Amino acid sequence: MDNTRKRRRRLPALPGIALTAAMAVGATAASAQELVWARYGDIDSLDPHRATSTLSMQVWDQIYDTLLAFDMEGTPGPNMAKSWEASDDGLEYTFTLNEGIMCHDGTAFDANDVKFTIDRAFGDTPSLTKTSWGPITDVSVIDPLTFKVTLASKFGAFLPFLADSFSSMVCDTNTADTFGSTTAIGTGPFILDEWVKGSEIVLSKNPDYVNFGEPFDNKGAPHIDKLLIRTVPEAQTRLAALRTGEVHIAEPPFDDIEAIKSAGELDIMVAENTGQDVFWEFTVSRPPFDDIRARQAVAYATDPQMAIDIIYGGLTNREWCPVARGVFGNDQEFCKQYGYEYNPEKAMELLAEMGYGPDNPMETTMFVWTGGNRHKLAEFFQSQLAQVGIDASIEIMDIGTMNARVKEQNESPDLDTPGTFDMMTWSWYDPDILYQLWHSPGAYTGFQNAELDAMLEETRTTIDPDARLEKVQAVIKYLMENAVHIGLYSPGWEWVFAVRPEVEGFKVGPFLHPNFLDVTVTSGG
Amino acid sequence: MGKFILQRLLAALVTIWIATIAVTILIHLVPGDPVRIMYGSFQTTPEELEAIRVRLGLDQPIWTQYLMYLERLVQGDLGRSIVGDQPVLDVLLTRFPATLALTVSSLFIAIVVGMSLGFLAAYKRGTWVDVGAMVLAIVGVSMPHFWLGLLLLFLFALQLQWLPVAGGDWRSLILPALTLGLANAAVLARLTRSAMIDIFDQDFIRTARAKGLPRSIVLYRHALRSGLVPVVSMLGLQFAYLMGGAIVIENVFAWNGVGRLAIEAVLSRDYPLIQGFILFFATVVALASVVIDIAYAFLDPRIRYS
Repeated sequence: MDNTRKRRRRLPALPGIALTAAMAVGATAASAQELVWARYGDIDSLDPHRATSTLSMQVWDQIYDTLLAFDMEGTPGPNMAKSWEASDDGLEYTFTLNEGIMCHDGTAFDANDVKFTIDRAFGDTPSLTKTSWGPITDVSVIDPLTFKVTLASKFGAFLPFLADSFSSMVCDTNTADTFGSTTAIGTGPFILDEWVKGSEIVLSKNPDYVNFGEPFDNKGAPHIDKLLIRTVPEAQTRLAALRTGEVHIAEPPFDDIEAIKSAGELDIMVAENTGQDVFWEFTVSRPPFDDIRARQAVAYATDPQMAIDIIYGGLTNREWCPVARGVFGNDQEFCKQYGYEYNPEKAMELLAEMGYGPDNPMETTMFVWTGGNRHKLAEFFQSQLAQVGIDASIEIMDIGTMNARVKEQNESPDLDTPGTFDMMTWSWYDPDILYQLWHSPGAYTGFQNAELDAMLEETRTTIDPDARLEKVQAVIKYLMENAVHIGLYSPGWEWVFAVRPEVEGFKVGPFLHPNFLDVTVTSGG
Repeated sequence: MGKFILQRLLAALVTIWIATIAVTILIHLVPGDPVRIMYGSFQTTPEELEAIRVRLGLDQPIWTQYLMYLERLVQGDLGRSIVGDQPVLDVLLTRFPATLALTVSSLFIAIVVGMSLGFLAAYKRGTWVDVGAMVLAIVGVSMPHFWLGLLLLFLFALQLQWLPVAGGDWRSLILPALTLGLANAAVLARLTRSAMIDIFDQDFIRTARAKGLPRSIVLYRHALRSGLVPVVSMLGLQFAYLMGGAIVIENVFAWNGVGRLAIEAVLSRDYPLIQGFILFFATVVALASVVIDIAYAFLDPRIRYS
């Protein structure tokens, strides 16, 4: 991090102006104990069973805690649960909780709260992420600190899931109708004071918080008293608020990052091990991408390294693997041997074999989702594709529309138009993402194959880490050799933070989870 | 007068009725399956998607959907938002006061600045004051709202630090209101100028001057009052422009009104909320136009009797 500091502007000498300026500074610059974090959007819900957005998860992290916790490398370890044992058949897990965990309403957190959370996730209005919990059939409370979870079949992603925010532990006193919209009782480092929808979430520090397993120095309550999470949609406005000190931490506009760095007025922080993967995938149900050579031609014809160097200026990395950095199974060297190094000649050869040539370009459409300068990336790739004789038009849409359109494309094998391909983005904490994407029917009803299905099932039912790694790598090899899922870069969205120099100790845990346990704000900034 | 008000109210109702048709069709205009687009980010099974389709009535023919929509509408039910699962009307009403505060204060700024500038330009017609005011007006009309907003933000919040960049208290209202107000003042300035020039050339003004009335009486009592009539008629339209501009400006200044809500709804593909917003917006603009038309009729008796 760049620690260059800049002193606040000197106040104007005119008395009237000085007065208004002092008012502005007094009202806007947070006190020493208060931290303001601005983000482009608001949460969908305070209820971890009723939303899926990263924006929501990042807030749940502050209010709730999880049974396990990821270390900075993304490996799950003890947290609220101090230990666990799996039965030999891998179908029963018995967990022991740490003592002394308190809910924000003063009640003790125990095994009944865990049962409440899991039962609720499978209840009448089930969690939106129900399937991520795995095939849980029962949760039984053995004593206040011990509980047993029974699974219908082995589930390799079970333990990592218990470290993810989707499994946030909800206290069983959250029975009011207002839970999720105005109230939320957890055990996390901050207590909810207020959520002004669309505007601000006000959190106070939880003096009883004990950090059992989060990978941060502070093992007790946060140092700051208040955490204000504010919605400021416009990037330039966020930057202005950062500069005046109204906001301490925010995502800066991409195109200003170089200027911010050279001015030295704000620190730029880049999250690592985000698990975010940006990749090519194809409509394989009709030409041209039903032919592996067409898919490989796109992979050979595009140079992600050059593209990210130009467009993101070194803020992200070339990602060779279908599971991104931070996720179990990610190994750049392993993946690279099955990857497609930039080779336009090879792309042209493949296209010529398929009967395409300078007078007969391969036509297709590239789907890209809005934001994060991805449109610039798409234009860059479009020109690289044109150089080998692939005529790709670009369609930009929001991610929800793109998800639906990609699925529709795959399910329309008889359309007259050429098959599309897309710059898809997914983030997950476990290689189980590959199962969700590519096991029949898959998230987009795309590439499906019985052999691949069997391999993917093995990644779920193999629990031993070494054995599981082997299974995961077999899937990675298959997906890459068949040019089904071609990694481009990681991280891919909302991973850059600009931080005021008076803020110390701000850290971003794996899978893009900002943490404020170690944060201190020096006064006067 | 009663007949006139009734006519205006009927016209407003027709506008709102057209909006109800538009919002029903809207969901079917989007490429792709609306249910999948709305719930695409959730882990939903095909059966769950089908259940949602039935719940939203999207499995019915479009005219049935429309009738169901109208039936709910007359009961004040605009549906529930997808994000947060709240009644749409409640969500809109929670955020509307902020937008109302913004549009009313912008309108006030637009009227004060725009009319003064226009009046001054007309009075000093042909001088550098006139040219300067009209150049300013053209710049104001041509400049995109968000750009003007960012410029004001840069000047008053970042450089001078007189005002907060974003926030929630009344001081945060000043910059967005100024942005919207100044942009719309430009339109009003041009309108006022041409209206006043017409009036200044009228016989009754010449007569008033010839009678030796003091200049202030001629200007304010005779000229301004008559000159304002066509300008007031434009205020309804101005209000609609301001409401539209609020969508952009609320986003720039993080002002927590319905305009920003609309953008959030679009980004999260929350169709019930988008539909609710369009209808709400159309209703507010239609009713505001009625109020302004009535005010106009009071100012100019020719309107209510024609």
